Amino acid sequence: MPYYQTWEEFARAAEQLYLTAPVKVRVVLKYRHCDGNLRIKVTDDAVCLQYKTDQAQDVKKIEKLHGKLMRLMVSKESGAMETD
Amino acid sequence: MVLLENDSFLTELTRLFQKCRTSGSVAITLKKYDGRTKPVPRKGHPVNYEPADNKCLLRASDGKKKISTVVSLQHHAYSNLLRAHMDGLKKKDKKSKSKKTKATQ
Repeated sequence: MPYYQTWEEFARAAEQLYLTAPVKVRVVLKYRHCDGNLRIKVTDDAVCLQYKTDQAQDVKKIEKLHGKLMRLMVSKESGAMETD
Repeated sequence: MVLLENDSFLTELTRLFQKCRTSGSVAITLKKYDGRTKPVPRKGHPVNYEPADNKCLLRASDGKKKISTVVSLQHHAYSNLLRAHMDGLKKKDKKSKSKKTKATQ
């Protein structure tokens, strides 16, 4: 299972994967405080993209991507209007 | 698997993070949710559920305890919570040593 070396490549591939298969894609975050590392995985059960890091500067990037994907899931497919 | 309201989920997630500070991992899963409340039926049975397009499932686990919630609005509190708790990683500064006193390389 490939771990991406650069965050930019991973983020781009992850977003693209989600846009091609929004219903199938899931995002998994695994955080280990004792080891001081964080992993993120984006998969549609056919393609698997992974990134791991132990750098604090990556936490913000990962959390932003996570939030972005959540926003995509929560917004209506057709438009980007906020509900309620 | 405990299904919670968004606020209770945040509280429990905080507790999970606190519990796992000395050992263990916290796994968080995010997936689009289409509103099904029953399993996919066998052939021939009608599927009657309200298709929903604007929800997602959020799950968290520490390996033993599992919690979940359904999110339909973007919650800033959740992002803040993640950022606040995932603070044990190495800072880029080369001068200062890592602040983690317990972990040894």
